[in-house]
Amino acid sequence: MAGKGRGVAFTFNIEALGIGRGSMPEARVGPSPLFPTIEFKPVPLKAGEDEDYMLALKQEMRGTMQRLPHNIKTPTNKAEVEKYTERYLKLKQIEDEDWTPDWNLFPKELMPQTKKRQVKKGTKKKTVKISPKDATEVLNKLDELAKTDDGNPEKSDDETEKKPGNEDGEEIEEEEYEEEDIEEENDYIESYFDNGEDFDAGSDDNMDGEATY
Amino acid sequence: MPHLEPQQRAGAINKLLSLVSLRTWKMKGSDNQEKLVYQIIEDAGNKGIWSRDIRFKSNLPLTEINKILKNLESKKLIKAVKSVAASKKKVYMLYNLQPDRSVTGGAWYSDQDFESEFVEVLNQQCFKFLQSKADAARDSQQSPMVQRNSSFATSHEVWKYICELGISKVDLSMDDIETILNTLIYDGKVEMTVIAAKEGTVGSVDGQMKLFRGVNPVLQPTGLVKTPCGLCPVFDDCHEGGEISPSSCVYMSEWLEF
Amino acid sequence: MTAQEIRLCGLLLREHFGEVVEKVGKHLLGGGAQTLRGIAHETGLPLDLVKKTLCVLVQHGACSFTAGRKGPGSPAEYWACCDRILRILRYPRYIYTAKTLYGDTGELLTEELLQRGHMTMSGLVKTVADRLTQNMEEGHSVDYSEVSSTFSKFVETRFLQRCPPPVRAAQTGGGAQAAPGAAPAAPTGAAMLAPESFPDCYEVPRVTLVGRGKRQLAPEDGEEQRSAKRAKMDPETHGDEGIYWQVNFERFHQHFRDQAIISAVANKLDQTSSEIVRTILRMSEVTTSPAATCTKPLSANEIFRSLPASYNISRPTLDQYLTLLADDPMEFVGKAGESGGGMFVVNLHRALANLARATLESIVQERFGSRSARIFRLLLRKRHLEQKQVEDFAMIPAKEAKDMLYTLLSQNLVQLQEIPKTPDFAPSRTFYLYTVNQLPTARMLLQNCYKTVANLIERRLFESKESKRLLEKSQRIEAILASLQASGAEPEQLTEVEEMITAPEKQQLDVLRLHVNKLDSAENQVDETIFLLESYISSTAAAPT
Repeated sequence: MAGKGRGVAFTFNIEALGIGRGSMPEARVGPSPLFPTIEFKPVPLKAGEDEDYMLALKQEMRGTMQRLPHNIKTPTNKAEVEKYTERYLKLKQIEDEDWTPDWNLFPKELMPQTKKRQVKKGTKKKTVKISPKDATEVLNKLDELAKTDDGNPEKSDDETEKKPGNEDGEEIEEEEYEEEDIEEENDYIESYFDNGEDFDAGSDDNMDGEATY
Repeated sequence: MPHLEPQQRAGAINKLLSLVSLRTWKMKGSDNQEKLVYQIIEDAGNKGIWSRDIRFKSNLPLTEINKILKNLESKKLIKAVKSVAASKKKVYMLYNLQPDRSVTGGAWYSDQDFESEFVEVLNQQCFKFLQSKADAARDSQQSPMVQRNSSFATSHEVWKYICELGISKVDLSMDDIETILNTLIYDGKVEMTVIAAKEGTVGSVDGQMKLFRGVNPVLQPTGLVKTPCGLCPVFDDCHEGGEISPSSCVYMSEWLEF
Repeated sequence: MTAQEIRLCGLLLREHFGEVVEKVGKHLLGGGAQTLRGIAHETGLPLDLVKKTLCVLVQHGACSFTAGRKGPGSPAEYWACCDRILRILRYPRYIYTAKTLYGDTGELLTEELLQRGHMTMSGLVKTVADRLTQNMEEGHSVDYSEVSSTFSKFVETRFLQRCPPPVRAAQTGGGAQAAPGAAPAAPTGAAMLAPESFPDCYEVPRVTLVGRGKRQLAPEDGEEQRSAKRAKMDPETHGDEGIYWQVNFERFHQHFRDQAIISAVANKLDQTSSEIVRTILRMSEVTTSPAATCTKPLSANEIFRSLPASYNISRPTLDQYLTLLADDPMEFVGKAGESGGGMFVVNLHRALANLARATLESIVQERFGSRSARIFRLLLRKRHLEQKQVEDFAMIPAKEAKDMLYTLLSQNLVQLQEIPKTPDFAPSRTFYLYTVNQLPTARMLLQNCYKTVANLIERRLFESKESKRLLEKSQRIEAILASLQASGAEPEQLTEVEEMITAPEKQQLDVLRLHVNKLDSAENQVDETIFLLESYISSTAAAPT
């Protein structure tokens, strides 16, 4: 945007303005302080019922959004957090349904490639055609990803049910995660080439699933 | 005047002297150069002339001019006046002339120094007058139109009020007061309307009259200036991770503690 | 997209959607339209994570997509909507406004929609009814129909609107094609079809929704509750599946603008004048398009009939007020004709320009003092002035005026124009004219506002990080206390746990809370400056109607 004035070399002769030489701001002796003293102080913030309420709304909104499935946790960050803290914090997590996007509104390519997971009891839908090898690989990956992602309420139904058993194994999986990243890279290339096929084969209709995040 | 008798000559001279001034007599001893410089200064009128310009016009060396100027000054034929247009610059004019406003700066200058405090005091007093008028109008409970109209003051009214206050050592003209009222407009505190006035109405000029009134600001100070960043002198140098950053900012710390 | 906008968007995304979304969002903001593969490759994030992230962004309108832009069959491209992301900063104000307009129900409807991005009417009504019921005394509950009717009113006044229906071509991701030319040529906001271009935009669907809000079970029954929830989610059709609703930000902004004008009139003139302007604006809400320069002309007769009786304004008094409003130099109200006792409009764009000007003046005033502000206002009014003229008009001594002009110039609040008298551009034969350009100055200060909010967020994150251990400890203790209380523990036991936080620790926490509150409040209040400047800037871009 607009160029800032600080230290700008003027395109004109400053002296011709009469602001040259002696009338320039006092020449500095020695380095200037990092934070020069300022003449004016900020005006006090407005305070009142409206302001207090909006402050509360802001903080509540931030808190809620952090606990919603739309807040995607960084898997690698998890290791830093003490487990016991997490367990208690989990109590505060929104007990919420999984987030199931309406795939009519999203590009189909954004559906998670988790064939099995998409199948919910009682929902009629066809599966995406993925080569068996591909599918298992992806599945494994997602499983592990999801586990590492502990403390995060967005999980598929199967995942939630499995949870109690998962917690003990958590530590090991975190260590494994590094390797996984590399695998992911390979997977990315593979699926990149596979993908065109996916889309050609899987027409709109058989992708009308209920894939859940 | 060689054909005249000395007596006649003396009589004529005496007559002239009484008519014109003393200057011819005083000039008696001066040479042509002095006359030339004098002439140039006289032509400059009450705006005066700078010594360097005298040099250009007379083509005399500066040292010579300085000598002449000194001489003329000592004879009280001319005087040096400091000009407000440029500090440390003296202009010369005939001794008996009243310097022009452009040289003295008018009421706002005392000895070529701009009396800033004087201006600000007048600015505040004028505003106080207009504000009290607006307050009285509001409290009058009259119809909205009457309220508005009675909140206005003419420049003449303001002028009269200031004169009666007696805070000014010098005589202020109505123009002077309007200059002050204009600064209040630029302060965003006063509005001006021009209305047609009947010929001869007090304070009207060319059938027009200026009306002033105090007004309230439309906005409270805006949100930005309620933060230290809104006033920060090193705002553009600030970035996270830098020497000046939001985390290390002392203005921010001070503000948070307050 | 400026660096400041990207930085602020990034922080807002991080705080509300996490760091992964921040990373992808910033990548999109900086790099323009990109494909899924491209994003995954360049961010180095796992593909599945990128997919999920894009879903979150699309769900919240923070990202748009289109397919086949580079020819038939080309993959979908995604781009971020900077404006939409910046709106997160204004969420508290939308919610609060909804509360003032439609009470607690309005508040929760807006809050839920903002949290979820978009929802169906049935889903929203049920969630809000549950939440309202939760806050009621035991044995009371809210009927779905009550919430539905507030929802309908909200839609009627256009604060909520339907999401535009999905574009077939876009969502097939390279499968089916859009008709040539139908796909947007450039990935800009304009590429998205405006919700208002669909006839059903404000059409409330027929929903079969019978029942009352349900109270959530006590937290210790977590597992049961889960299954209960799931049961509730079982396919139950309400007849509005696939019809999604979103917050109509434009409408809220129109409301904010009107409020700003009303309060400016109240400040400048008086309460009664502002109530008259409020009436005119309310009458114009439906007849005037949001981008219009001024409201549709209304006669004094019509205005008089619409004035709430409680204002107690007689017809002759109204005429006086209208005349005074039209006379006022701020020009909030204009006279558009003589019929019907005089025709009046509210000059919306003029009002915004004047409010923006007052904002600029206020910034200079508070930052550089009243005499610099005098110079600034002088230049705003007189356009071009030489330094000497500035000194004379502002009555400020030469040296001070020079210093002030230099400071304003160095901060880009004042510009300098050179007008050479001779073609050789010799400085001695050049006029130097000082000037203030309102629009570019407003743009610059808007950027400063974005940077300021980002700074406030960074500082808040820093303060919280400094006390991270302590915060975690207190959260832990609170959690323990809660579970102890629930299990009916002895009071001594509770005190014992409470005392795990020492007095100095408690003090430190209080200080932190104070700091966080101050920084958060400041964010809210800077957004008011942002709103005014943004509205003014966009009003100058809009075609006059």
